Amino acid sequence: MDILQIDGISKQFGTNKVIDRLSFSVKEGSIFGFIGQNGAGKTTTMKMILGLLKIDQGEIKVCGEKVTYGQNKTNQMIGYLPDVPEFYNYMKPKEYLKLCGEITGIPRTELDNKISELLNLVGLIGANKKIGGFSRGMKQRLGIAQALLNEPKLLICDEPTSALDPIGRKEILDILERVKGKTTVIFSTHILSDVERICDEIAVLHDGKVALTGTIAQLKARHSQEGLQIEFLTLNDREHFLNCISTFEKINQIKETKMGLTLFSEEIHLLQAKVFECIMAEHILPTKIEVLEPSIEHLFMEVVK
Amino acid sequence: MNAFIAFFKKEMMESIRTYKFYILAVVFVLFGFMNPIIAKVMPDLLGSLLPDGMTITLSEPTALDAWGQFYKNGSQMGIVILVVMFSGIMANEFAKGTLVNILTKGMARPTVIFSKLAAASIQWTISYLLCIVITYGYTAYFWTMAGVENLFISLLGLWIFGELMISFVILGGILFRSLYGSLLFTGGLVVAMTILSIFPQTSSFNPVTLSTMNLALLTSGYEVSKFLSASLVTIVGMIISIFASVVVFNKKQI
Repeated sequence: MDILQIDGISKQFGTNKVIDRLSFSVKEGSIFGFIGQNGAGKTTTMKMILGLLKIDQGEIKVCGEKVTYGQNKTNQMIGYLPDVPEFYNYMKPKEYLKLCGEITGIPRTELDNKISELLNLVGLIGANKKIGGFSRGMKQRLGIAQALLNEPKLLICDEPTSALDPIGRKEILDILERVKGKTTVIFSTHILSDVERICDEIAVLHDGKVALTGTIAQLKARHSQEGLQIEFLTLNDREHFLNCISTFEKINQIKETKMGLTLFSEEIHLLQAKVFECIMAEHILPTKIEVLEPSIEHLFMEVVK
Repeated sequence: MNAFIAFFKKEMMESIRTYKFYILAVVFVLFGFMNPIIAKVMPDLLGSLLPDGMTITLSEPTALDAWGQFYKNGSQMGIVILVVMFSGIMANEFAKGTLVNILTKGMARPTVIFSKLAAASIQWTISYLLCIVITYGYTAYFWTMAGVENLFISLLGLWIFGELMISFVILGGILFRSLYGSLLFTGGLVVAMTILSIFPQTSSFNPVTLSTMNLALLTSGYEVSKFLSASLVTIVGMIISIFASVVVFNKKQI
């Protein structure tokens, strides 16, 4: 079942059309990566899902229910972590979660247990000081806790890892992986290694439209132009090698790098054989030969180019 | 209702932990003491400042002088401090983005406004009452209340005016999303009402009457019926202001 359906939505700020007839859907129980450059419209789309921004055109459905701007009914099924979550600095984490719980109408008897459970999950159980003194990573983790409080069917995280150090990032990704199964997660990012680590499915947003969508394996298979990277000891070696390899007609593209070459072909095995042939023939000792797998980064660059 | 109570508690906690409520209460308590005491010692104070050999005759201070001080302090500094203290009540939430989490929890937008209004009103009422009780106590102790008429209506008038200010500050914050916007909006409306009050015939429907004609009312120098009609206009103005806040806030993109 699709937990989120976005159907041909558009959004314009002044004359700037940020989202242009965007459509995609998210399956229940998956981690969905929403990728795009800065300013591609990721946050705008998320805010429209939450009913915080008006939709100019099209419609959004959460669990089959239509989102209406300004009304927050569908939000009871959603947990949202903003890119920079802001809290009341004079509160302690427990007090803040209590406020959130009371607003959502969680029964008082359950609330205390729920709060300790969540603080445990995000590793803030011992942080009994005012939120004003929290680091960015701690705020981000508290943000996840508040987003998960009402046991949402859909968790939306807006660039949860962007401003964090590597340890903080790992912690956030681990938490997201842990909640998978209990809830569907949509998270936007431009850090592609995060996407490869935890996402089941992705959509790349470009020029206000989905430029690419599918599971990571599908996408990699579809864009399976593989490459071979070779590095040489001297530029002279490169010259000789280039003369030899250029007779091979199955090469699609040759890129020169600082001390080497990157070769692209649809038949990587034949290419490999030819490369070793040339190396033997020219008596070249390369410093590195590497098969480049299609990475999300490549795909992203291709789309965004 | 649960959301209302939860957010009301949050507002009170905010005022207490950021010292807003203490400042407001302390200022009004100080006014409460100052009003009768200044009225009492003013003639002696003036007398002691005069050079030797010079005398002026001042009439003995009365309860009216104490209430005169009360309305001077309350309607000027008091209202200014009230407005400044609550100028961020909506504006700060917008500026900091703290409402995003709250609204995405499914909280209805009008509830945010009503709980803020309730919290600010309670703080204003408590501070104002403290000031009244202290001034009344000392005034009754120093003098008698004879000759002081319509005290209740006159006090109520200034309280309603304070409530109007709170509703303006909230509307200004929603309209302009900033502290300055909120302050300028409220200040601008007060200036407009004050300019209007230059024409005496407008006084019976001008809210500013509730903060300027109080003393005259005590000596029956101003008609009660006019004061009451101004009160009614103020209450209507306040309701319109709250209604506008709800409508505008519902349409606001966050």
